[in-house]
Formats: sequence, C-alpha cells, structure tokens
Amino acid sequence: MSIYLDYQSSKPVDPRVIDTMTPYFYDKFGNPSSLHSVGDTATEVLERSREKIARYIGAIPEEIIFTSGATESNNQALIGYALRNKNKGNHVIISEIEHISIHNIAKYLERNGFVVSKIPVNQFGRVSLEKLAERVDEKTILVSVGYASNEIGTIQPIAEIGKFCREKDVVFHSDIVAAEGLLPVNVETDNIDLLSMSSNDIYGPKGLGIMYVRKGIRVNPLIIGGGQERGLRSGTENVPAIAGMAKAVEIMEQDMTEETRRFSEYRDRLIKGVLERVPRCYLNGHPQERLPNNVHLRFDGIEGESLLLSFKEKDISVSTGSACSSKTLEPSHTLIALGLLHEEAHGSLEITFGRYNKEGDVDTILGVLPDIVKRLRKLSPLYKEEMK
Amino acid sequence: MKSTQYSEKVLDHFKNPRNVGTLEGEDVSVGRVGNPVCGDLMEFYVKVKNDRIEDIKFKTFGCGSAIATASMITELARGKTLEEALQITRQDVAKELDGLPPIKMHCSNLAADALKDAIKKYQERQKPQPGKEDVQKDRREIAGTEKFMNKGLYRQITDLNEFTDRRTMVMDTGERSMKTAHELTRYTPRVIFATKNKQLPTGDPGDKLKSSAVKILYESEILEIKGLNTVEKVVVHDLNEDEEYELFVDSIIILP
Repeated sequence: MSIYLDYQSSKPVDPRVIDTMTPYFYDKFGNPSSLHSVGDTATEVLERSREKIARYIGAIPEEIIFTSGATESNNQALIGYALRNKNKGNHVIISEIEHISIHNIAKYLERNGFVVSKIPVNQFGRVSLEKLAERVDEKTILVSVGYASNEIGTIQPIAEIGKFCREKDVVFHSDIVAAEGLLPVNVETDNIDLLSMSSNDIYGPKGLGIMYVRKGIRVNPLIIGGGQERGLRSGTENVPAIAGMAKAVEIMEQDMTEETRRFSEYRDRLIKGVLERVPRCYLNGHPQERLPNNVHLRFDGIEGESLLLSFKEKDISVSTGSACSSKTLEPSHTLIALGLLHEEAHGSLEITFGRYNKEGDVDTILGVLPDIVKRLRKLSPLYKEEMK
Repeated sequence: MKSTQYSEKVLDHFKNPRNVGTLEGEDVSVGRVGNPVCGDLMEFYVKVKNDRIEDIKFKTFGCGSAIATASMITELARGKTLEEALQITRQDVAKELDGLPPIKMHCSNLAADALKDAIKKYQERQKPQPGKEDVQKDRREIAGTEKFMNKGLYRQITDLNEFTDRRTMVMDTGERSMKTAHELTRYTPRVIFATKNKQLPTGDPGDKLKSSAVKILYESEILEIKGLNTVEKVVVHDLNEDEEYELFVDSIIILP
C-alpha cells in the first residue's frame, strides 16, 4: 500500500471542500462583477469567504486580496510594496532560509535598483533579532521572514521580529505557507503587515492564495485589468476555489488542535526511532521550535536522491534536499545556511505528515529505513572512510 | 523530463548494482574522481592482467544515475584491454542504459572519468617514475583576520561556555587544537576541524577526534572570513580539488 509523506509539497483537497466547490462550477457560475442576480450569488459567496478567511488570521475582510497562490502573493507583496514605496528607501531584508520564490523575487528587486540583505540563521535555522538589527538602516523599507521553514520546519520568532520592525517603522512581510494549518497565525499578535498564504496548504484547491495587506499600507498592483480586488488584483475572481478555501479554513478551525497533536506524536516517535536505529544520523532544524509535522534528517555517507528512489521502490513518497533531485543541481540553500557542507546537505530526508497519515505509517518507515540506509552506505566510499 | 525519470534499465542497475566493492593487491589500480564537497564521489578499482581488465569494482556517493552508470560501466569494461576500456564514452554508457535524463548526463561522466583515472594511474605505474618534488604550500594570510579578531575569531580561549550552541571551526595548529575541538563537542553540536593535511596523525588525540561528532575537513584552508560585524561565514579552499566554497560558521578558533 502506498504511503504519502510529502505533505509539504502538495496536499490532497479535502472531499468536504470539493463538495462545497462543486455548485460554483455550474449551478452558481456567476461573475461577482455582474449586477444581475446570478452575479449577486457569486458576490455573496465571495464576500462571505473573504470574511471567514480574514477572521482565521485575525484580519478584517478589506485587508484580504485573492491571488493565484502564495507565489503570486509573495511577488505582489514584495515587488508591489517596494515599487510603491521606493521614495522611502531602497533596502529590503530577507532571511537566508526563505522559500525559493522569495529569494528569486529578491534577485529581481536587486536587478531593479534595490539593495537586498540576508539575515543569517543559527545552526537550528532560527533568525536572530540581533543579526536583523545589525542590518536595518535608514533606507530599509521592508523585512520578509517566513513564519516557518518549508524544508527544515524551524519556527521563527515572528511576533518579536514584527515588533522590532514596527519600532523601526519598517513594514514586515511573512510567508506563512509552511505554517498555515499547523500553527495559529494572527496578524495582530504576530505584528505582521503583509502576508502570503496558499489554499492548498490547508487542503483547499490549488491555484488560489491570499495576500493580506494591513489597512493603511500601500502597494502597487502587478496584475492590471478590470480593477477587481480593490484594483490590486484584476481578473475575474476564482469563485469555486475561493468557496473551497473558505471551507478548508472552516475545517481547520475545528480540527487543527487535534490534528497537530496527532502529527507531533508521529513526529517525535519517528525522530526518536530513527536516531536510535541508525548510526551517524542527525536531525536538521530546531529540536523544539519545529513544525508539528516535520521530520528532517541527514545521514552520513549517503545521497538523498538514492534515498528517495529507494523509498519509491517501496511505494513511499518522501522528499530530500539533495542537489541531485533539484532542477539546478544545487543543494538546498536552507541546509547550506545551517552551516552544512554540500556533502552533508546531500544526505537529507524530509518527511512531512498530513491529514491522511496513520499511526502505522510511522512503523512502516521505521521498518524500512535502517535497511535502506545500510544498503546505500555499503555502496558509499565516504562511509568506509568514516568507519575506519 | 524530470531529473528522476529513469529508464527501467537505470532502475535495475540502481536496485541491483553490479560489481560493488573494493579490490586489493599489487596489480590493482584505484581511480577516484569527484568531490564530496560538491556532491559526488566515484571510486573504481581495476585489476589488470596481461593488459586486460580482469576484475573491476566500484563505490560511489552519488544519486541514482551515478550508481547505475558506475554499475553499467563495470560491465562494459570487464575483459576489455586497457586501450579498449579507455575508449568507453559517457554516450556509450547512457546508450546501454536506454538513456539518461539530460540533466543527469554529467553523472555518467563521473563513472567514465573514474575508470580512465584508474587505467591512467596503472599505466603511469608501469613507466619509470620521475622523483616527485615536495611542493611546500605557502602559508597564506587569512583575509578579514583583523576585522573579526575577538568578534567571532579567537586566538585564545578563556571559557568554552562562550561557544555554547555556536557553529565553531577550529583550525589545525597541532595537538592542542585537536583537544580543543574535541572538548567543544560538549558545548555545541557543530564543531568543524579544518586541516591542510590528508589525514590526522594516528594515536591520541587524532583518533579520538575521528570517532567524535567533530566534522573534519581534510586538505582545507581558510582564505577569507566574512560577516557584517561579526563572523558569519568563511571561504574554504579545498586543496585537493582546488575549489573554493563558503561555509556558515559563528566562531573560528586559531590557537597559536
């Protein structure tokens, strides 16, 4: 039987969400911009959904802009804010372990006259306020730090970073994708000004996300057209997906506490079990400040893609930070930022639990992992050296 | 094409690699290419008799296609004369495996190059050896030494507690530096010991260090220390591969 342990990459849409979406494809297909009753039905669900999602993150409905997903939200928030406020300064700060979309957006900003600084993290992947403070100057207009790492699962001190930014009069953006549905996020208590969130990461449909923009903060739109979403994001709203995301939020509000308690049990049992069974194996990321569903391990002397293929043979889906599995053949920038050598970053295994995992899945992994590691180490010239 | 979209043949060689292992003896030559620092390492062991490859084994630290290409090339090379084996190209290997994803073609280079390296080394051994000169490497000044002195870079240590949970790199300056690196593992999970040598001297404290949690960087020197106000990373020079790379650290200890 196949086991899926890569919820960080993609999640199935909850069947209850699909049921909620279905009527909006045919029966209630209207365009919210139309003034007739078919359009009114669409407007009604659009605004009801907006309200529900806003409440979920402690915002008000006017602060929510629907987008095509978190990547678009990141683009819209960072580029939109930087372009609108370049008269205030040209300096943007991100962390070394942001999601690849933030890194590439930062490169784009650099090519367009902005200066970007990166905050290093400690060996557990935490951003230090001290290192952030060293980097803020009078030209700094924006700081972006993800709520938690999508790879190693380390949770950032978001409320403290947000508080510091507010004191310095710098706008604070946070990509919450890795943390949404796993940690309670609240823009008020977390002091967040701009935020990106995706629908799929709470078991909603793909192709939808939101950008939160705190009232009073101005951003330039990137997608220009008919002026939907208060002119910030043109294009007819994706009503079925929006209704679905609202339903996903509703389910999360009910189930998150119980679900995350379950995940953290799996997580702790798996980490402990692997460290006990496999020699020269290490946990990447923070031992405590860690997403409840994230297990990120590395093994001396073996390479992640071979690990992934070995699991694939057993019909188990996992992920790795290995260079050999990436499009660029570069190792994960997050693992390098932890201070790991390329060779160490290569030997990593990422397991992320989700809604449809069962207790028995942990036993299955614990059953097959030690032999897989043993077999691959037999092939490895590096492990031989270390055993001597 | 996805980087892991492999042919059945590649997967077969990955699952059941042929000729894994090592060989020993006077007629065995060892070829080694790649660099674990940048990701891949391939070792080939070739046993030669009457100018033919009588036996061949390999070990690799690499992805699925590295394992499969190494396995295939051992099959192709076995029994061939050295000249014939030298003619094996990466295209030959890829063809025998029913193709490789384009992004993975470099992996087949690795196997072909390791085989060539083993054969070349064997052939060189047959020729009279010119006396090797001992090249003394200059001790270079590390850039940034002044800026970071006592801001993450230390020449002396008063209290190891200051290094709690800090990624600390200790430079090899002899026995005391090894002892310090070993002691530091009680304070932080990340200790790196950088030495210009190929190995550590046998016996205490080198052996202790090797079996500890300390990460040892052999044949490495620091070229530069970087950071905004305090040490944040170092530029390491891999002397064996003559490559440079950056490594994130919080402190560096260079004892006199």
